[in-house]
Amino acid sequence: MIIGEQKPLNEIKQMIADYQKILVLGCGTCVTVCFAGGEKEVGILASTLRMATKLEGQNKELVEATVQRQCEYEYNREVADLVRQADAVLSLACGIGVQTMNEQFPEKITLPGLNTTFLGQPTEQGIWAERCQACGNCVLALTGGICPIARCSKSLLNGPCGGSQNGKCEVKRVRMAWGKPVTIMDKKGKEMPVMEDIECAWQLIYERLQTLGKLSFLDEIQPAKDWTTSRDGGPRKIVREDLRIEAE
Amino acid sequence: MNYVKGLLDQIGLGGQRLEIYFLSSAEGARFADIATEMTERVRQLGPNLIKKLEIGD
Repeated sequence: MIIGEQKPLNEIKQMIADYQKILVLGCGTCVTVCFAGGEKEVGILASTLRMATKLEGQNKELVEATVQRQCEYEYNREVADLVRQADAVLSLACGIGVQTMNEQFPEKITLPGLNTTFLGQPTEQGIWAERCQACGNCVLALTGGICPIARCSKSLLNGPCGGSQNGKCEVKRVRMAWGKPVTIMDKKGKEMPVMEDIECAWQLIYERLQTLGKLSFLDEIQPAKDWTTSRDGGPRKIVREDLRIEAE
Repeated sequence: MNYVKGLLDQIGLGGQRLEIYFLSSAEGARFADIATEMTERVRQLGPNLIKKLEIGD
């Protein structure tokens, strides 16, 4: 699914500063499941903004709504009246939903309340991890179902680099929460970021292929990956003539 | 819960105004203790700024 994270409150407050009546619009799909922009989060954010703006002496009106999928015109039509009545829309959908709204309702600005972070999965309650970079040319069949592009820090395609030690990558990641680094105090009382290990994707691939009895896959010479399906050729588009409805 | 408390802190209303307790309907005495504890806490924090503003309006 698409993983998102709500923007810091101050950034959201600055974005909506010029508008009086704001529609806070959630999305019922990916961002609901990752607890970032569903109906519940819309309610919490709208209430918070109501209180925050009131405390600052403003009297903004915040209207709440959530559509099933903000990346499709059909679902957004349901809130067309609410959009018309608002000065601006604060979307809690991913960047796709925000752009769909701006295309569909060009007379109104739709602002992003979330940072769209990555394509991933919940690995445990409260933790989401990146799994796909949508390169458009899937190699998972060759790598035991583990993506070297999304999960190797260098997106290497020809095995681990020298920075792979004991199954861990030489790159360490700063643990983030609410868009900020998580910190701890060291022995001298200095605030330090919490650094996390990253699994070496190629170690995982090797072990998985070993389990599957397919280590021979690694001996095969693969042609250079075709990256034209990825971002290198600009924004991508799929046209399915079999599904299109020709305009009469 | 912690998330919402953090939001209340961020907007200056105070996350301490919010708390969640789990207790059964048989725990009347504990309920009374919690009510007293929260009343005391809120009294120390002072009036809700938003209500104060509304009355001021």
